[in-house]
Amino acid sequence: MASEKRSWDWGSSQCRAQLDEIFFREHDYIQAGSSEHKEFWAFFERFQRFKTKRDMSGAEIRKEDKDKGRDRGKVDLGLPKEYDARYRINVSVCTRDIEERMGKSEHRSRQRSSGPGAQEVSDCRLALLHFLDFSQKQSFGKLAKLRREQKNLPIFQYRDRIVELVRLHPVVVVAGDTGCGKSTQVPQYLLSAGFNNIACTQPRRIACISLAKRVSFESLNQYGSKVGYQIRFETSRTATTKLLFLTEGLLLRQIQQDSTLARYQVVIVDEVHERHLHCDFLLGVLRSLLADRPDLRLILMSATINIKLFSNYFSGAPVLQVPGRLFPIQVIYQPIPPEEQSSKSEKLDPRPYLRILQGIDQRYPPEERGDLLLFLSGVAEISTIQEACQIYATHTRRWIILTLHSTLSIAQQDKVFDIAPPGVRKCIISTNIAETSVTIDGVRFVVDSGKVKEMSFDPKAKMQRLQEFWISRASSEQRKGRAGRTGPGVCYRLYSESDYNAFAPYPVPEIHRVALDSLILQMKSMSLGDPLSFVFIDPPPAASIQNAVFYLKEQGALDSRGELTSIGSLLAQLPVDVVIGKMLVLGCLFNLVEPVLTVAAALSVQSPFLRSSQHNPDCATARQPLHSNQGDPFTLLNTFNAWVEVKRERGGGSRKWCRRRGLEEQRLYEMVNLRRQFKDLLRSHSLLESEDSTPSGGDRVQRRERLTERRKLHQLKRDHEQQEGSKRKVLKLEEGQEGDFSSGSDTEETGRSKRNKEGSGQNLDIQEVKFKLRHNVSELQEAVSQDLSSHQQALLKLLLCRGLYPQLALPDEHNSTRKDSDQVFHTRNKQGVVIHPTSVFASDPEVLQVPEGDTGEMGPDRRDSTKHQLLAFVTLLETNKPYLSNCVRVPALQALLLVANTVDTNADCTRLVVDGWLELELKEPEEALKVLSTALTLRAEWERLLQAQLGQNSTGGAAVGQGVSRRVVQKLSESLVRFLLYTEVSYSLRRLSAFQTQNLYIGPQLESVLSNTKAGDLNPLFPGAEAKPDPIKGGLRVTNFFTYNCLADSKDLYSECLRTFWSCPNCDLYMPLTPLERMHHETSCRPAGEQQQPEEGREFLLYRTLIGLTRALGHILYFRRDKEFHTKCECVYQLCVFLFCILFQSQKVEKQALHQCRALPEFITVMCAIKT
Amino acid sequence: MEEKAASDNPQKTFTCQLCSLTSPFTYYGQKPPNTRAIVLLEECFITKDPFSPDREKFLVLGSICSLCGTYVCVGSDCSLFYTKRFCMQCVNKHLDQFPHQIQVELAKKKQSAKAAVS
Ligand SMILES: [Zn+2]
Ligand SMILES: [Zn+2]
Repeated sequence: MASEKRSWDWGSSQCRAQLDEIFFREHDYIQAGSSEHKEFWAFFERFQRFKTKRDMSGAEIRKEDKDKGRDRGKVDLGLPKEYDARYRINVSVCTRDIEERMGKSEHRSRQRSSGPGAQEVSDCRLALLHFLDFSQKQSFGKLAKLRREQKNLPIFQYRDRIVELVRLHPVVVVAGDTGCGKSTQVPQYLLSAGFNNIACTQPRRIACISLAKRVSFESLNQYGSKVGYQIRFETSRTATTKLLFLTEGLLLRQIQQDSTLARYQVVIVDEVHERHLHCDFLLGVLRSLLADRPDLRLILMSATINIKLFSNYFSGAPVLQVPGRLFPIQVIYQPIPPEEQSSKSEKLDPRPYLRILQGIDQRYPPEERGDLLLFLSGVAEISTIQEACQIYATHTRRWIILTLHSTLSIAQQDKVFDIAPPGVRKCIISTNIAETSVTIDGVRFVVDSGKVKEMSFDPKAKMQRLQEFWISRASSEQRKGRAGRTGPGVCYRLYSESDYNAFAPYPVPEIHRVALDSLILQMKSMSLGDPLSFVFIDPPPAASIQNAVFYLKEQGALDSRGELTSIGSLLAQLPVDVVIGKMLVLGCLFNLVEPVLTVAAALSVQSPFLRSSQHNPDCATARQPLHSNQGDPFTLLNTFNAWVEVKRERGGGSRKWCRRRGLEEQRLYEMVNLRRQFKDLLRSHSLLESEDSTPSGGDRVQRRERLTERRKLHQLKRDHEQQEGSKRKVLKLEEGQEGDFSSGSDTEETGRSKRNKEGSGQNLDIQEVKFKLRHNVSELQEAVSQDLSSHQQALLKLLLCRGLYPQLALPDEHNSTRKDSDQVFHTRNKQGVVIHPTSVFASDPEVLQVPEGDTGEMGPDRRDSTKHQLLAFVTLLETNKPYLSNCVRVPALQALLLVANTVDTNADCTRLVVDGWLELELKEPEEALKVLSTALTLRAEWERLLQAQLGQNSTGGAAVGQGVSRRVVQKLSESLVRFLLYTEVSYSLRRLSAFQTQNLYIGPQLESVLSNTKAGDLNPLFPGAEAKPDPIKGGLRVTNFFTYNCLADSKDLYSECLRTFWSCPNCDLYMPLTPLERMHHETSCRPAGEQQQPEEGREFLLYRTLIGLTRALGHILYFRRDKEFHTKCECVYQLCVFLFCILFQSQKVEKQALHQCRALPEFITVMCAIKT
Repeated sequence: MEEKAASDNPQKTFTCQLCSLTSPFTYYGQKPPNTRAIVLLEECFITKDPFSPDREKFLVLGSICSLCGTYVCVGSDCSLFYTKRFCMQCVNKHLDQFPHQIQVELAKKKQSAKAAVS
């Protein structure tokens, strides 16, 4: 052959390169170096092999071919006489121009004639044609398959009917069971019918992503952005997006910003039957929104559960019911025998489950495919059964055990879709997540435990409760249905038929189970009126709404009339718990934004600390340096900061770092994203200054480098996404054995690296790529790197405590005599709670106890100390016990005085009752007064600055003043820290008994000593504060949280014995004062230097006179006991004190205050009386 | 039905008259844009290959039967290209004029289709 003669070698890259010059040039359809180009040469080799094989065996056929070709007088198609596969290809490739050029050059350089001859060129061309034809067939095959599948879906026949209904009616209900295709098809039908701007909500984020992927593939827009998704941190939405999958919560936020939802033409609310809180609320909001948007089309999609409810809610909206596609399912009731039933505290007995696996192995030959799906109530149950099944699986080598629950990472969840090798079945042990949300094909057997764990809220104890319940009949049927999606199936129910009949028909909707705080807050911010009169599809109990309103008031998000406060309206914008939102807002005021952002983010995601690694000594040792005995938020903060540091130094090496410490890195990625979102939110509400837009280290070279890096990262991400869509992997028999329940990140890694070995061969950490794309790690590191000083730490604690308030717990007084594991705490509403084993305080409870040497002896039940502490906590959740998690310890007296909603005292302020449940007794009245008045001053200032900060960003009001000056904030934070750290007051701390709470207050005082003076005379004592008798508790309500002298043991307000001589450290005041007067003087009298004193003119004269007069009157009051004279002087004296204070406080308000002073005429009369 | 004239309308769809496969197309003709050396041997309904990330990759959806003018997709159940496009109906009508290889192939396919049904 010619090619041999001229030493042409197809395998040589040089020879191939010469052909590349002809066929795969820079602007050609396929370009050298591209993936298609690589595929071509691989194809070429196969093609050549095939050709040589055929050439050897195909000669006869060709002869036979020649015999044919007769004409029967019919239409002559004019087909060539000789068969050639080439004729079946409808593509040609014209390269004559380039060949000619090459040919010429070849002529010129004949001597080294190794170039391709005509034969080689034509061989290559033929192969290319076949390759093109092959690729066309492949792609068309995919398209045809796709269309075939779409056509086979039960919903396909209703396509036109659905579009027609939507055109005619504002609201349409589409009901169909899983597998009918409604979630993927209905949006597409509407798109192709010409509807634009379609929103489709999903209860779960994962569903948004996977549906967007699937639908964009099906609508042939896999690589475009016509179909997109939007979830908390991620969006694929662009200007061209016409169909958007988003979470229910996100759509609600959009309505919050745009009450008519003008950006959408169609809203599809999917899975309405799941009755999530957000979904029920969304339906209510949309229902009232429809009145303003008659053109809006609303489609509710539901399983065939309780359809009438939805239709009726929207005044009889038409229902289109689509039959599901289910094969017959045999139901076998196998109730668990009593000896195998476990009590609440025990582990689940795996025997009933193992018997079913065994039974399947005996009854069904391994060649008959079909996997098993096992429903359990919770993660703990799953790991128990997994352990047992894994032993069985290892022994029989016929099963691969996998788990599925929402706390697994997406990559881990993904594994359940992989395929088991022949002769082996998958056994997927799942929570109810596989009931409706995750659909796994190939399931033939279902085992239903009949149990589900649901979160409910106990308003009395203010506690979340995770409880196990029997499922509903609707859930039971859903679970069963999972066995019949791909063929006839079997459902084993581990309960009796009579149990089944006793189940509730439907699950309890979430709105009836959970705390409604966030919901009510959102309703308030959407101006939906009185939550009690809002038309819910299934209204929650009124008490539950009232509880939420009460709680929000307690939190300061609503005022006493139930209207949003400025902080409340901000909290409503933040997609986090009210307590976390409060922390963020508070953090902005002080210079503690970065740590507060981290803590807020950390407390909003699941803990990164894997429970199972807790007992691993290596992990424990590696974790040790991250621990902080200040509290769990500080441990989380340390962990995050250390992780960022590792990220900056070692990039992808962080995965290993996390694994060694038993950390789920996914959570840290979530934290960093959430943190970023919080920061953006705070900026958009002008609570934070925007950063300079110029990137740090802004020299051009660096910027270019960063740009190049970003481009590379984007490419990596794209490559990864493409790979992801590739075929399902076949599972290895050892898959479940690595104990993946115990170390999530381990399996995630092994799974991923396995995949990567098959794929690109490089160990790509896609999370790292996404992280780098989203965050500038050196900037981040800079922001979080500084270690907190002890002062900052104290302040941060206070912020956390104020945010978390009223979630406080008191250590039981007998804790020091108990074992570490038996430490007990009490909250206001729930006694006897314990610390969750994951908390630092569970392993180190001593730091919460009052040191022995510090306690003073004051009798058997009273322990005085300067070191009492409280725990502020994030969650109180009851599983088998009521557990506190994410706790931080705070100094009790100081924290309470600074954050509590009510502080009540007796007359000399030595007895304080906080929020009606904690009693503090101080030994020294002197100290008590001092600490109380400091707290009052600090709180007033803090409140003032906070309001200024919040007022600044309120969109309506014009910015009053330039907000809050840094110097003032600095001063306040210093004072707060000083108060927290250096208040050395000895006191006792205890919980009030129920009896004590009943008889706490003296009640309204009819026969008050004050009745001698006019009521108006009280006012001058407390300028600025609305001090007035408290109508319920009695005593004097001094500020909105502080009521003086209302405790039942109180002595009367003006009894002389309470008046003691006192000299003010700041001014030269020295006179007898009641505690109240003194406190008031202290709040208004600033240390020298802060306030200039009037030095000359009328003010100065008045000032001197007043000091003289006050002193004189003080002496008279102190020594004279004549009742009538006393009363008159008292009045004058109060006025003098008042005037005195005014002078010190501000000279500007003086006149105004004097005019407002209703006692002025009295004053003048008395003055005259004295003169005469 | 599709009009080749309506080339400026972005919502053009191609539907196979035999299997009713429907898909939007962006170009009708023999020379899809940006393909340089590639020329089609028949006029085709063409769209961007939705399964390739590359914008320039095209996908032939179908064309018109050279004998009866039916719109047919390129799926092997609907049409066959042998120097020209023939719809399956026309192929069956004139089966004898097609080379032996094709006849054998079609017979085989018929058989396996029957087997699948029964
Ligand atoms: Zn067709
Ligand atoms: Zn035809």
